[in-house]
Amino acid sequence: MGTKLDPISLEIIANSLRSIADECFVALMRSSYSTNIKERKDHSIAIVDCEGKLVVQAALTLPIHIASMGGLMRCVLDKFEGDIHEGDIFIANDPHTAGGTHLPDINYAMPIFNDGALVAFICNIAHHADIGGMVPGSMAGGMSEIYQEGLRIPVVKLFRQGELQADIMDILLLNVRVPEERKGDHNAQIASCKLGARRFREVIEVHGLDDVLEAFDEIMSRTAVRMKSAIADIPDGTYEFSDFMDGDGMGTTDIPICLSLTVQGDNIRLDFTGTSKQVLGNINTTLNAVQASACYALIGALDSNMPSNQGVLDVVEIICEPGTLLSSVFPAPVAARAHSCQRVIDVVFGALSKAIPDRVIAAANGANTTAVFSGVDPRTGKPYLYFETLAGGMGARATKDGKDGVQVGITNTSNLPVESIEQEYPIRVVEYGFIQDSGGAGTYRGGMGLRRVLTPVDHECVFNGAGERFRYRPWGLFGGQDGGSGRFLIQDQNGERRLDDKPGEVRVNRDDVIIVETPGAGGYGPPDQRAAELIEHDRRSKKFSDSFIEQHYGTGNRATEG
Amino acid sequence: MGWTVGVDVGGTFTDFYAANDESGMVHVGKTSSTPSNPAQAILTGLTALCSQYEISVDDIDRLSHGTTVGTNALIQRSGDVVALITTKGFRDLLEIGRQTRPHMYDLQRDHPAPLVDRENRIELEERMDAQGEVVTAPSREAIEQAIDQVVATGATACAIGFLFAFRNPAHEQLVAQVMREKAPHIALSLSSEVQPEFREYERLSTTVLNAYLQPIMSNYLQTLEDGVRGQAKNATLGINQSSGGLMSPQRSRELPVRTALSGPAAGAVGAAHVARQTNRRNIITLDVGGTSADVALIQNFEVDIAFDRDVAGFPIRLPSVDVETVGAGGGSIAWFDRDGLLKMGPTSAGAAPGPACYGLGGDQPTVTDANLLLGRLSARGLLDGDMGLDVNLSRAAYQPIADELGFSIERTAHGALGVMVANMVRTIRTISVERGHDPRDFVLMPFGGAGPLHARDVAVSLGIREMVVPAAPGIVCAQGLLVSDLKEDFVVSRRFALDDAGVDILCGALEELNERADNWFRQENAPADARMLQLVVDARYIGQNFELAVPIAAAPTLGSGDVGSADELHAIFCTTHETAYGYASPDDAVEIVNVRLSASARLFKENDKVENKPSSISPEPRDHRPVFFDAGTAVKTAIYSRSDLQSSQVINGPAIIEQLDTTTPVYPGDRATVTAHHHLIISIEQGA
Repeated sequence: MGTKLDPISLEIIANSLRSIADECFVALMRSSYSTNIKERKDHSIAIVDCEGKLVVQAALTLPIHIASMGGLMRCVLDKFEGDIHEGDIFIANDPHTAGGTHLPDINYAMPIFNDGALVAFICNIAHHADIGGMVPGSMAGGMSEIYQEGLRIPVVKLFRQGELQADIMDILLLNVRVPEERKGDHNAQIASCKLGARRFREVIEVHGLDDVLEAFDEIMSRTAVRMKSAIADIPDGTYEFSDFMDGDGMGTTDIPICLSLTVQGDNIRLDFTGTSKQVLGNINTTLNAVQASACYALIGALDSNMPSNQGVLDVVEIICEPGTLLSSVFPAPVAARAHSCQRVIDVVFGALSKAIPDRVIAAANGANTTAVFSGVDPRTGKPYLYFETLAGGMGARATKDGKDGVQVGITNTSNLPVESIEQEYPIRVVEYGFIQDSGGAGTYRGGMGLRRVLTPVDHECVFNGAGERFRYRPWGLFGGQDGGSGRFLIQDQNGERRLDDKPGEVRVNRDDVIIVETPGAGGYGPPDQRAAELIEHDRRSKKFSDSFIEQHYGTGNRATEG
Repeated sequence: MGWTVGVDVGGTFTDFYAANDESGMVHVGKTSSTPSNPAQAILTGLTALCSQYEISVDDIDRLSHGTTVGTNALIQRSGDVVALITTKGFRDLLEIGRQTRPHMYDLQRDHPAPLVDRENRIELEERMDAQGEVVTAPSREAIEQAIDQVVATGATACAIGFLFAFRNPAHEQLVAQVMREKAPHIALSLSSEVQPEFREYERLSTTVLNAYLQPIMSNYLQTLEDGVRGQAKNATLGINQSSGGLMSPQRSRELPVRTALSGPAAGAVGAAHVARQTNRRNIITLDVGGTSADVALIQNFEVDIAFDRDVAGFPIRLPSVDVETVGAGGGSIAWFDRDGLLKMGPTSAGAAPGPACYGLGGDQPTVTDANLLLGRLSARGLLDGDMGLDVNLSRAAYQPIADELGFSIERTAHGALGVMVANMVRTIRTISVERGHDPRDFVLMPFGGAGPLHARDVAVSLGIREMVVPAAPGIVCAQGLLVSDLKEDFVVSRRFALDDAGVDILCGALEELNERADNWFRQENAPADARMLQLVVDARYIGQNFELAVPIAAAPTLGSGDVGSADELHAIFCTTHETAYGYASPDDAVEIVNVRLSASARLFKENDKVENKPSSISPEPRDHRPVFFDAGTAVKTAIYSRSDLQSSQVINGPAIIEQLDTTTPVYPGDRATVTAHHHLIISIEQGA
């Protein structure tokens, strides 16, 4: 065509592309085996142009995956230049060589051809329940090299011109626990790619290739303009903020994350200079993941309906020296990168609070509290693996309390129903609820952390976990108080004691009890301005104890809300 | 001379559809709704209908009613205090839900607060394990204490939801028994009765919604039943359920949550009836109203059922007609997003102020304004000329957008409709392609006030070649109520492998379900020749966490002989999986998690004694006006009145067919044929 697409035609084509991504998302969710994907929706879909730029993501895509697609694509295009054919499917997971963010996320990319020419890729990412390595679930702490975290997959062709490379699949499956299930997950990812490619060709048929490709560029450039105009609304200046990670589980503690955020007109630069060197434990991240987290925070604060595509990524300049915690290099372990990503979001909000105080929230649970139980099911004699991440408090907002017990930041995965856990695993859930007094006091209070109490039924099992904000509590803003920290506990014949914050391979005997407590969140504004009705609600619901209320809000007269 | 009347209460109008089972005569009526007491419009409308068509009220045998009283109460949260008794350690479950937030990036948006406040969620020391074995039995003392706490909350209704009650309801039943002794004034909802299936949060949510609605529905039905008894003493009242069947008023008092999604269900059932009358097996429905459009699939004349829906942000896990809603209707407003793309809806001008052309003060450019600008709607207006439309107001509303785009007003209006069509198409794809169907194998059936106006573009985008426009597109819901069966769903939630031993378990479950269905048939006095049973299992590959509803057999009676062998069942599962997900794993083991039996009793007797005079005369247009079928130029178009049309008549496009509350454009090259039941079949020009 050559002429510029009008805003109506563009919307109609963009809608068709979003429709493809959404269909592929549901198809992958419904046909996979991993509970991570099925119940927790820990997966993503994207359409990428032939240069590897992200054009459209499925509506429910996890923010953490936004940059990973691009990372994979750069590696595919570099490595296979001139060798990309119809019917090929690429897979990869390695963070250091293949654009991944951690090993359990397996990335798929299928090129789409039109009249023999490469026109786009359809990609998906899914978090497999296991990718091998030292520990079931491939997510626990206690490892110092990426080799220990599981099977590293460079960018390889799993399909060559429509033909499955069975020997590659054999390698993938031999290296993981419960291979039958993982095979099901791979099949689901493959089917999702093929569906996307088929639908994409239908869209080309209707709208013509030229218009579709022009729409690609328009979607990204218009999003970039939208992002720039949102940034221009932030007062110019340099805003600094820093926070500390508790530790890496390998002896390094009090790990600084430092940010100097500069806005000048419609330009924004996030400079993480001053952040710790990369650490021995697995909370390191790759630059991709930091990019995704920073963009998440900016979109959330500035314009939450912003389309998530390359246009956003291109506008945000990130400075992060290689070899640091947030831009780690080989052989850094990265499995628990989500903890650091969550902290990056808190830090970005912290910096922005000095510029646009009404648009940000106080520190959230800032973690991705992970609990993994494994053992042999006494009912079947078969090994099992139960993996879950637990939500916590959401930071208080300028006009209302933070939500209690909810996923925040880059993750929004569901919990597993107690009745699923107990039917499928020899585990009993004894308690699941809010932790009293865990939301930081404030004019608006922080959200509450969650407590889950579990015990193995008729057998011994092994517990692995990873927590953050177990020592550095989620901070409040503008006089709001810090929220409660999290912890892991065990109750055995010796009584109750606290476990490490990133415990590895804890033996849990019959009748022992594991207690997982996730962090709450920080409050917003001075507690003495909290409305009487809200305090009364805190008291009546028993979410807060009388002594907490006494301590933070006193008994003085106060205004009613509004 | 027995009359059956379907009554559908909508936000603006209450619709009536009456049919006589001997003469085959049908009458339709419409009256303004009375939202503060919906029964009032039903009773006055019924009187008006009877006097207009000289129907003796004593000849009304049945009154089938679709109500949104429950749905509205949930949306407006207008119910009283509700309490909950749950397993110790889990009172926060209702508030935690699935621990997710409703929007990934929006820091301000939360799921709605639970319907039961935390202080009214009472824990009881009790526990079942996954097999339904008692781990901890509740003491009488603890039960009484819990009940005292419930009474102290002042609740008028109480939900009881314990872990694994779907496996063993003993503890819930025990608490209910003590409660009925100690506090008989409090309405009870047990999770093991409302929705005996695994996944505690969804079950609990459904049960709490039920409890919340019990007092409201009970009051409403009392008023309605008293009124009906006083007016049409021989009429049996049936209440529509979300699953698209009727239940008795008594059943709806016990299980009001079953009405929460019944609004769109009646439309889908009515559409299935039209599908049978036109002998079109596979249909995609498109019911477009003022603010939204409902889409459903009909396969083999049957409406698809889904189990995971939500209302007002709360999940409901009950069999419901699989209707997908999209925020696109006649009142949807056109606007530019921040990146400059043109969007339509979901914001709607609603009925007041309504589209700009209504002249009621609305100044936003809406879908209806676009249709008026293109000549597709008559300036004489809706409702056959009762209310004129002002095209100049539409023009003023669209002018700023046209200026911004540098387009003519007509091209702008045409484009705006294109965006709205794209939204509808995306939804239809979600419910068809996603479920493994190709929309090209379906016929599109538009109805509702604004459905037929937009259907043609939707059909073309989906590759659909034929459309059916029902005889009375504005009251398909009332018609659906009229033809609905009495329906009840039974479930046994049990997880077992699909092998020879599993088939025995399945047969045992069927026996148990048969007994429950028999009891129900007897209670409802369903004659043997009107009964129908359908056996469905929720199954999955072992290790999957999401089950697939697999229909096994349907017949008036079902026994173990109808179940089939493990191999046969495995093959049926694989075929269903292949259809739904595009692949099957024939070597993988399968397990069943729920066994369902759906029992229905046919109430409506189809009568084909309709006036059926095929006419060979071409219909006469009432008028001509210029109409834009594309963005470029208007063509002189014949305007027909639907009431003039007779069976077998053919109208070749371009044409516009107008009736009471709907306008149907027939595009150039397309061809509309009138059927014996006065439905329109529009075949779309090849190559369109």
